[in-house]
Amino acid sequence: MTVSRRTFLGRGSVTVAAAGLLSSIPGLSSLLGTAGADGPALDGAAADGAAAADASAGSLTEPLVAHVRDMSSGEISLFTGTREVLIRDPQLANRLLRATR
Amino acid sequence: MSSHREAPEISKDPVADSTDLYAFVSPDEPDTVTLIANYVPLEGPAGGPNFYEFGDDVLYEISIDNDADGLAEIVYQFRFENHVTNPGTFLYNTGPIGSLTDPNWNRRQTFSVTRVDNNGNDPKTTVLGTELACPPCNIGPLSTPNYAELATDAIHNLPGDVRVFAGQRAEGFYVDLGSIFDLAILRPFEQAHATFGLQNTGLGMMAAGVNATKALNVHSIAIQIPKNQLTANGRDPEEVESPRSVIGVWTSAYRQKVRVHDDSGQAVWAGPYVQVSRLGNPLINEVVIPMGKKDFWNSQAPVADSQFAPFYVNPQLAQLLPVLYPGVFPHLASYNAGPPAPNRADLVAILLTGIPPGLVTGFQTFTGATQADLLRLNMAIKPATSPKNTGLLGADVAGFPNGRRVFDDVVTIELRCVAGAVLGLVNPSFTADTAAGAIHQGLTSGDTDVSALGTENYLTSFPYLGLPYSGFKVPAA
Repeated sequence: MTVSRRTFLGRGSVTVAAAGLLSSIPGLSSLLGTAGADGPALDGAAADGAAAADASAGSLTEPLVAHVRDMSSGEISLFTGTREVLIRDPQLANRLLRATR
Repeated sequence: MSSHREAPEISKDPVADSTDLYAFVSPDEPDTVTLIANYVPLEGPAGGPNFYEFGDDVLYEISIDNDADGLAEIVYQFRFENHVTNPGTFLYNTGPIGSLTDPNWNRRQTFSVTRVDNNGNDPKTTVLGTELACPPCNIGPLSTPNYAELATDAIHNLPGDVRVFAGQRAEGFYVDLGSIFDLAILRPFEQAHATFGLQNTGLGMMAAGVNATKALNVHSIAIQIPKNQLTANGRDPEEVESPRSVIGVWTSAYRQKVRVHDDSGQAVWAGPYVQVSRLGNPLINEVVIPMGKKDFWNSQAPVADSQFAPFYVNPQLAQLLPVLYPGVFPHLASYNAGPPAPNRADLVAILLTGIPPGLVTGFQTFTGATQADLLRLNMAIKPATSPKNTGLLGADVAGFPNGRRVFDDVVTIELRCVAGAVLGLVNPSFTADTAAGAIHQGLTSGDTDVSALGTENYLTSFPYLGLPYSGFKVPAA
């Protein structure tokens, strides 16, 4: 699927970035917890996508960017290295949105 | 311009903005083809202290379709890396740059070349060269005293008798930009322009064209490849009529999807590479594709170009010419008015499918029914001994739209074609207006002038585009 840069940066989406400042992370939830240190606390465990990320935790050696593309479906693109991983996790999308408010 | 700043998004990203693409049988090495992809438009030669360079965060590609499917069978990839010797000075160079390894040169670039052969589901990747030096920009007599020598040293020989160069060159594309984008003033007929009712415009007073890209520089990626490394069967193309003799070429630039500016002033990138710029034939995204589609067009692969075919079948510029110049293009006006509705099969053939055999003696660039904006080159056609800057329109079958040479006057050629100069080839009932064949930019002394009235210093050997203009001699506009 082609996404133009304008569309990508458009409204209705939430993007969270961690740019190499973290030497390691135990998983996506922890990343979000760190990112949310200056904002609302995150509670609960993500049901599926984030939990899977937890299980395969490793070192963060390059930027990891999450882009919530659609709140209702919980469609989130994760960008790292030269990869894009698409997950669907409405609960996680909602928590990310709450973390930005 | 050919493809300089041709779309809203890419106009903000010069290092990824493809400006011109050339493909021709090398006149001095006729067993090879030279491909040149230019980036970074409108470089003012004095543009320091951060002189121009390629994007180290951009993936550049030149793609070749050699089996008429609109897809790339061969891709040459170019990646650049910056090197700073002394970050403690603001200077590009701390003394004269005497060689490509001179420690006085503070900020330099190297590049790698990779060939990808897309053979079914098993692409083969071959790294042809790494840490290849780019030349510096041409600064002036103290900083780059022997510039020609530096530039020659930056021509690299790669395995397989391939040669490559990447760096600054003189802009070779000439265009009367100021007239064309001033509501399509064509200087030969400017006194006939409708002028929107304006009086005392001065039209009719200008005798000569103005080369808007004169004395500017550009960044070129030039590669010279034996022909038999580009054909599908690995043989030298010898039969003009053979479909295997024709290749389709385009260049494209890619950036990663995500860019984040961190607090240190640096930017980091993440995600897969996506296409942000492309170029096959000149002037397509400029004057054929409408404003609302330009950024989208840049994101699309040529193989998907049938979606843009309506803009070729009935181009807006062809509709405008008889309106802007009442009485000058009467046959085109009648054709446009229909019925039937305009169906510019001539432009579709020239720009989207190639010209089939039988229309022009000893010539064809046909690549089948797949509509794709490719610069098509029949490699079996030998270089011209007496080239014409009007290419095929001047009966020079070695010139545009058979590939494109550095001196081809592509603006004149395409304007004449849009005005209907060759529409009669596919529509025998149409007679071209006399004016269609009289269009010219006023930037050459005639169709045998391959120097644009002496303003372009093309070379007779690789990389063919001239040495860049010095910032000392030519200040930024």
